[in-house]
Amino acid sequence: MPRMTFAAALIDGLVWALRSDPKAFILGRGMTGHGAEADAQKPLIDEFGDRITDPPTSEQVMTSLGLGAAMAGTPMLIHYGTASFALEAWNQFVNEVGNGHYMSGGQLQAPVVFHVFHGIRGGGGPQHSVSPHAMMANAPGIEIVMPASPADAKGLMRASMKSRNPTFFFNHTMLLGLEDEVPAGDYEIPLGKAAVKRKGRDVTVVALSKMVPEALAAAETLAKSGIDVEVVDLRTLCPLDEATVIESVKRTGRLVVADEGSIICGAASEVAAFVAEKAFAALKAPVQRVARAMVPVPFSPPLEAAVMPGAQQIIDACLRCVKARETISG
Amino acid sequence: MSTLTQEKRLALLTRMLRMRRFEETVIHLALAHSYVGRQHLHIGHETTGAAVGAVMKRGDRIHTTHRNHGFVIAAGADPGKAYAEILGRADGLNGGKGGTWHLCDPEHGIGSTSAMVGGSIALAIGSAWAFKCQKTDNVAFAHFGDGTLDEGIAYESLNMASVFELPVLFLCENNSKAGQRPSSMLAAKALRHVPEALSIPSKLVNGADAEETLAAIDEATRTIRAGKGPVFLEVTLERWPGSHQVNAAFPTGVTDLEMAWDEGKITGKHADWIKRFDPLRLYAKKLAETKEMTRDEILAVDKRVQADIADARKFAEASPFPKVESAFQGAFV
Repeated sequence: MPRMTFAAALIDGLVWALRSDPKAFILGRGMTGHGAEADAQKPLIDEFGDRITDPPTSEQVMTSLGLGAAMAGTPMLIHYGTASFALEAWNQFVNEVGNGHYMSGGQLQAPVVFHVFHGIRGGGGPQHSVSPHAMMANAPGIEIVMPASPADAKGLMRASMKSRNPTFFFNHTMLLGLEDEVPAGDYEIPLGKAAVKRKGRDVTVVALSKMVPEALAAAETLAKSGIDVEVVDLRTLCPLDEATVIESVKRTGRLVVADEGSIICGAASEVAAFVAEKAFAALKAPVQRVARAMVPVPFSPPLEAAVMPGAQQIIDACLRCVKARETISG
Repeated sequence: MSTLTQEKRLALLTRMLRMRRFEETVIHLALAHSYVGRQHLHIGHETTGAAVGAVMKRGDRIHTTHRNHGFVIAAGADPGKAYAEILGRADGLNGGKGGTWHLCDPEHGIGSTSAMVGGSIALAIGSAWAFKCQKTDNVAFAHFGDGTLDEGIAYESLNMASVFELPVLFLCENNSKAGQRPSSMLAAKALRHVPEALSIPSKLVNGADAEETLAAIDEATRTIRAGKGPVFLEVTLERWPGSHQVNAAFPTGVTDLEMAWDEGKITGKHADWIKRFDPLRLYAKKLAETKEMTRDEILAVDKRVQADIADARKFAEASPFPKVESAFQGAFV
């Protein structure tokens, strides 16, 4: 099977989408960033340069443009760059995009994809490290997609472009260069289906986006201590595949949820809550959340590292679960 | 003397009457039913909607605001289904999901209707973008009030339309009254100086004059369809005294068309508005004075319109509330 970077696979999925739908257009350049993977967007521009427009720095109208155009028969992908920039358009996302189909009584459909880079990237500071997906998950009517592997990036982008609902596609900046096997040709991965990325017996780690490779690394380390970790990649925060998570927790009895967003009211909290509601009897230990500390992301490298969740925090959380009776007090 | 054909004059008057009688029955419904939702009526602004209704064609899109009823009716939506939506009934245009502020009827060109100030102007950019991508000669009509130019998104929208020569007609109803809220607080000498600064051809239009408004909207729409880019029309209108109703009421009374030719009938606190600024009365007066229509003809049109509106009201009042389960459905396709 061919190997591709995450960036190249993302573009491949988008290219297949544009080949399949001659009506779809893109607003915003630089879908693979300005860093090492910048050139990965070349196949997209070579084949579909006439369908890509570079807009003024106007995120609010870009958002309503994407929505309005999609509702009028032109499916759109809107690329903002860094996730923080999309926050300019929060009113549009919540009041127009999320509401559009419902408040029209189903008369209007909006096949629009919004694309951003999220996450702590190394030196991004407080305004360029945001992962706002949980904020968006709390607004009804928007699908949320967060691939963690090149193969998933391609298949989920393909499915997102096909979806008749508004879709917010969050790619982690630090995953763009990740390389792995990617099936050739046209394929899609349905939205709302989590994937077990590592089968395990002792503890379930549910993870999103960059926390998936972090969880897999944590699993490798824990395996040396005889702890067998199952890693479930949620892939989409909305629709959320509760069934796959619950099925895993019923087998392992222990749950760690890992998300790079800020911990309060984050995605990890949502998973912890529905597992507590629907699979309480299966739990042998309290659910553990691994997420970003509740502060703005500082610039200085050791400070940034301290607030950022990763493999070590997942390992610590898994150990807490496994040693629950001995170490958890109160 | 009017340059319109008899047919076009009749159509203009009829649309304006439909819009007016529709809105008056909204007030009747509010008095009869105490329904929830504060209505924003388009009374006194009929010239703009009637003109757009006359010039639009299949595939065009109107993006309007919380003050949408006039445009919705002018575009040809079923008034019964519009009333049903305002009452939150199952047969409403939006199945009861949107209500008075979000009437939607894509079949007649009414796109997503936003009650956020600035919402409509940006959504129109989207429709116009689609028309450009699909290479049609359709027009996106952005309907909004003067307050919209206080919003940042208005600048983004105007700029986007100008940079990409999008087929948008920016229809700004300026009914601002200095010192009265709500009203725009723009640090510009005239609203249209703003789009002019962004290279958008702009024009001031007297919204009290139905035929002048139609001519301006018709001309602008033609140039936009011909691919010449966006146009901004600043249409001045005198705000109707009932524009911001807390409790349903008829501050200027139910419209008496005889006031068009018997000005002795115009009395009361708002006589000045009725006499000088009601565009419907002014148009009926003009048609009667120039003998383009007889008084009897004008009254006959009104009678037909009122009968249609009465039927629409009955339809809506007979419509049941939607099934409760539907509240949880329809967030996604």
